Amino acid sequence: MKIAVTSDGPDVEAKVAHKFGTARYLSIVDLDSNRIEVVLNPNALSQKGSGIHTIVLAISKEVKTVLTGYCNPSARHQLESNGIEVLSNLSGTVKEVIQQYREGKIQRDIKIAATVEERRSIISKYTLIQSLNSSFRQFIKMMPVLIGVMLLIGLFNEFMPEDLLASIFSGNVVLDTLWGTFMGSILAGNAINSYVIGQELLTRGVSLFAVTALIISWVTIGLVQLPAEMASLGKKFALLRNALSFVMAIPIAIVTGTILNIM
Amino acid sequence: MSIFPLAVLAIYGALLLLAPDKAFQALKNSGNILFNMLIPLILVFILLLASNLFLKPAHIKNFLGGKPRIKSFVLSSTAGIASMGPIYAWYPLLKDMRERGAGNFPVAVFLHSRAVKPFLLPVMISYFGWIYAVILSILTILSSLIIGYALHIFVKRETSLNSVLTVMPDESEQ
Repeated sequence: MKIAVTSDGPDVEAKVAHKFGTARYLSIVDLDSNRIEVVLNPNALSQKGSGIHTIVLAISKEVKTVLTGYCNPSARHQLESNGIEVLSNLSGTVKEVIQQYREGKIQRDIKIAATVEERRSIISKYTLIQSLNSSFRQFIKMMPVLIGVMLLIGLFNEFMPEDLLASIFSGNVVLDTLWGTFMGSILAGNAINSYVIGQELLTRGVSLFAVTALIISWVTIGLVQLPAEMASLGKKFALLRNALSFVMAIPIAIVTGTILNIM
Repeated sequence: MSIFPLAVLAIYGALLLLAPDKAFQALKNSGNILFNMLIPLILVFILLLASNLFLKPAHIKNFLGGKPRIKSFVLSSTAGIASMGPIYAWYPLLKDMRERGAGNFPVAVFLHSRAVKPFLLPVMISYFGWIYAVILSILTILSSLIIGYALHIFVKRETSLNSVLTVMPDESEQ
């Protein structure tokens, strides 16, 4: 079992940090192997959001208990929701606090400890409800556009001339694949929509090459999201990644289509 | 709500006035598509639930990192496949990861591997068959390796903060 002690320095003689969110270091102690990993908290000096990063750090290190000087109610709630018990009002050196914890000298709130323990179980009632809520929200969120796509396909089936698609997708493998990639690059949204559109195109005689190119480029290329990607990951990275994804969509589509045609 | 479904509804509204027979036929066509998707959609919900139960962003964050080695490739592509939601929701985390020292390779592999959607596999299989789904998934993951390498070579990292310090003191000190 791992515990985390917030500290001001990178060794066990350092003082326990006064505040959880702004602690410079987290000493992660594996109580079974007696090993200590001291992790620098890179967000300790951040003006905003340092607490969130420290919470993520603690969760990602899979600790079960946090020992600290003070932990604000919001951070405490987040940690406890993730099955991490918070023991606060502690002072002294990291070494002393670990020793006190081992000897059971740190006072615990039995009720909170029991709740946290319940949340640690693989599927607790709390986790199940949270996950059901979250899944339901995700599912409902994708439905309007999906239903919109289905309604639009219904319209296409009724109104689109049979020869329109044939004029765009001529049957030339390379050109059709290019068209498919181009369509997938400019369209955006949940990938499920690309499957529905792809299936419809297939039934209308468009080649599997073009449909596969559409499906693959739908997710890997994002012309709509390009400004956001450039802002977050750099202009060169975003442009090159999208360009390479465009290029790669063509061989992927051709290889996939060829294998399936052979089979 | 997105403007797209509202626009489609508006078209239907207009059509119901102008050509009600064709509009009803179009609705029937759409109903058939939805009916055929019901079982795959139920499976999608179950897989979404499983992902939410067992996968946390902190776990995915753990997967991202390192130089272009096999381990980094496996972890980054797994993280990409497991990640859900719109891509822009992941940009802040990826930006943060890069600022903390994650290379271009894992980030590019992560982004490309997102084309493999395990929770949508029921729909893909029901439409195109499982052989298609398997081949496309394998090729997508392999192509993410190529794109990751290319970006690792051609794009220099703008920031490289070695922010994680690991100290393993002598056990006798504890």
